[in-house]
Amino acid sequence: MNSLSDEPKVEAITVVLVEDDAPTLWRLQDALAKAGYQVRAAGTLAEARACLAQGAPRVLLTDLQLPDGHGVDLIRETRQRFPDTEIMVISILGDEESVISAITVGATGYLLKDAFPTDIAATVRDLVAGHSPISASIARFIVRRTQSTPEPPPGPVLNTAKLTPREIDILWGIAKGFSYAEIASHLGLSRQTVPGHIKNIYRKLEVHTRGEAVFEAVQQGLIRL
Amino acid sequence: MNDHDEDATAEQLSDRERRRLQTSRLVQYLLLQAVIAGACVLALLQSLPGPPAQYQVTAFNLTEAGVERAVTLPYFSPLRNAMNDPPRFTGQFVRPAGEAARAWSVFLPRFTNGVEVTVNDVVILDSRRDPAANRPDRNTPAIAVIPASVLRDGDNTISIRLFIWGPITGFLDRIWVGPDQLLRPSYDLRTLIFVTLPVVFSSWQAILAVILGIMWVMRRHEPAYGVLAAAMAVGVGQAFLQTPMDETPFSKLNVVLISSAPIESALVLTFALLFSGWKWQRYGWILFIPGVLLALAGLFGNQATVRALFLVLAVPMVGFSLVVMAVVTARSALKRQNVAGFLLGCAVTIMLTCWVVDLLSVFQMMPNRIFTARLSYSVMLVAIGAGLTWRFARALNQVDGFAGRLVSQVREAEEKLKASFAREEERARAAALARERTRLMRDLHDGLGGQLVSIVALSERGNGSAGIGDAARAALKDLRLVIDSMDDIGGDLMLALGSWRERAMAQLRPHDIALDWRAVTAQGLPVHPELRPWHVIQIVRLLDEALTNAVKHANARRITVRIETLAGADGFDRGCITVEDDGKGFEITSEGAAAGAIKAARGLRNMRSRAARCGAELELSSCAQQTSQGTHQGTRVKLTLPHRFPDSDGAAG
Repeated sequence: MNSLSDEPKVEAITVVLVEDDAPTLWRLQDALAKAGYQVRAAGTLAEARACLAQGAPRVLLTDLQLPDGHGVDLIRETRQRFPDTEIMVISILGDEESVISAITVGATGYLLKDAFPTDIAATVRDLVAGHSPISASIARFIVRRTQSTPEPPPGPVLNTAKLTPREIDILWGIAKGFSYAEIASHLGLSRQTVPGHIKNIYRKLEVHTRGEAVFEAVQQGLIRL
Repeated sequence: MNDHDEDATAEQLSDRERRRLQTSRLVQYLLLQAVIAGACVLALLQSLPGPPAQYQVTAFNLTEAGVERAVTLPYFSPLRNAMNDPPRFTGQFVRPAGEAARAWSVFLPRFTNGVEVTVNDVVILDSRRDPAANRPDRNTPAIAVIPASVLRDGDNTISIRLFIWGPITGFLDRIWVGPDQLLRPSYDLRTLIFVTLPVVFSSWQAILAVILGIMWVMRRHEPAYGVLAAAMAVGVGQAFLQTPMDETPFSKLNVVLISSAPIESALVLTFALLFSGWKWQRYGWILFIPGVLLALAGLFGNQATVRALFLVLAVPMVGFSLVVMAVVTARSALKRQNVAGFLLGCAVTIMLTCWVVDLLSVFQMMPNRIFTARLSYSVMLVAIGAGLTWRFARALNQVDGFAGRLVSQVREAEEKLKASFAREEERARAAALARERTRLMRDLHDGLGGQLVSIVALSERGNGSAGIGDAARAALKDLRLVIDSMDDIGGDLMLALGSWRERAMAQLRPHDIALDWRAVTAQGLPVHPELRPWHVIQIVRLLDEALTNAVKHANARRITVRIETLAGADGFDRGCITVEDDGKGFEITSEGAAAGAIKAARGLRNMRSRAARCGAELELSSCAQQTSQGTHQGTRVKLTLPHRFPDSDGAAG
């Protein structure tokens, strides 16, 4: 596939970018704008909500810690209002603490704040193409949660009960650094189906409502009624 | 319904089988007892060897109740009491000439109750002075040397007065008169069997009384032992206390001893009942009625009454006890498969046989009058001793087994506890590490991380400050590595390498260097449960170093990472990670340091030190010239992981 900057501007993809640190915001905005995306930037939760009020963006990129609130709330709202919007969290370290909590409210992947501009553009492009990125450390976190332990490990709550053995196998492959092609050949899959599996994994990890979150917490024995 | 019927049938079947088994056991037991009884009878019918027959005196003139007639010994006198006018046996014997040099004796193997022997009108023996000989239940023999002055060559007269005081009729066995040295062995044999052995057994009984008494004192909940101890004590008293013939002030008390036989048999019977599981009931006292009656008769009546009652009360009581015991011990031996019960049962059979033979002898239905019931009681004593020892040994074995089982159980529990403690400790350690990591992550997120990102962003906006941006990006990368290595990867280094691959790809992408990732073996690397975060960080930094060298100094276009598990020479599998580039390579000096840039040299030294700290082997090879036929162009860093990672980094060089 050719660089996105060669694509016609009429099909410009709208991206809402929420980041409170100004230099980082500029950096990301530059990288996306250069790649041809139509970027609406916001520095606070309120500004982000105003941006979203203008209409559904194709992509939402948001930081989690915002001056007037938490990115998780923004992701949850967006997920409910605009189900077709792809959501990614902007993370400094790509750590599970922030990424998993974003995933459970509807994000599909994360973007490192110091990623090279080309990588930023490529990641958004893949996302729009339906390829939710997943990192080895996030995959590792998820698969380790699928292993039964007597007490819940520290970190965000995650329900892995819905994952199929095949999906867990794929996650293991990713966690160990195998490429999609290698995973596909190991598991006897077509290489093209792996991104779909990953998207499914994200969807299964998502907790849709507060009630469902409570229900699943009860199911997992995290809450005693 | 159907199931129920089948169950019932099965139960009946097993019932029938059990009954058949019991019947066969009973038959075996009875057969064995019959064999024992038969052997007893056979043994009792054997007569003891006597002195040479030529010295036996058989023809006697008996003067009994004023009537004189010729009799042949052995002779049963019908009288029950003949103290004042005892029957007198008079006979002749010949001492050949030339025998004067040898001592001659009169040997009386068996008589009841007492004898007075006169030779040529000189009294040479009065058995009434020997208390042991006075007891009709003992088969005490008598021998007396005839003073040389009394004897003459040729005919001599021997006269025997037989004193009878009951409770049974009088009896005089054959007598021998002859050289003492020929008569003595026979006498000694009888003394050994009928005098010495009972004393030995009575001593044994005394010991048993003490042992059982102690047993009962220590184990009050087992009254059987107390009862048996009492029986033994009564038996010992009966054996060692003498019964005087004369009416003395103590004779009233002594006469109580006569009641010892029924009391002892009642006690032994009670023991057998208790031993077989019977619970003591008040009606159990009935067993002691004959003994008590006899004792009362002894206290308030005269000796004649007591002796008359003895036959009526004591002898049947002994027989009754033996019969009941035979049944009880048989049941116990069969039901409980009890060795002690079995031994007791055999002893009872022997005693019962002897008792019956004695009874026949009392009623003159046997040719002789050797009472063996009392002697056979020693078999019972041996059986009791053996049974006790058997029980004691079994109890010891059980205690040993129990102790052994306990020890092994305690050890097992201890090991389980230790393992679970270790597991718990491990879990707690992992949880603490995870908590610490989460805290560190938040801290870095809130502070350092954000600032570094800002530096990256700002450096990109300003021109000519790319160095700052690179440094900040490197700092962020290192931060991620530190946090990543703290994650619990369960000893699977592949999980750490997965993240490293992502970072490596992000690092190589701007330089347009391809990363060829090859996991050669299916499972990648062996799992190391002892792997700690600091091992991971050393290995990942070492790999980073190799990567950075390839990017900065080698001008490489492609970097290949090979991950494989190799079978070591010592039989252990070892992980092996190889980073290979197609760059220009460098020369390695004899010290192993790169001859090129000082920075690269430092990098190589660092790599060696990191490998050493993890116990890993580092192998560097580099080709300075690019040759087309070389298997590897450029540089190859081969890291062979240890079989076991060291606990501390004491190996630091």
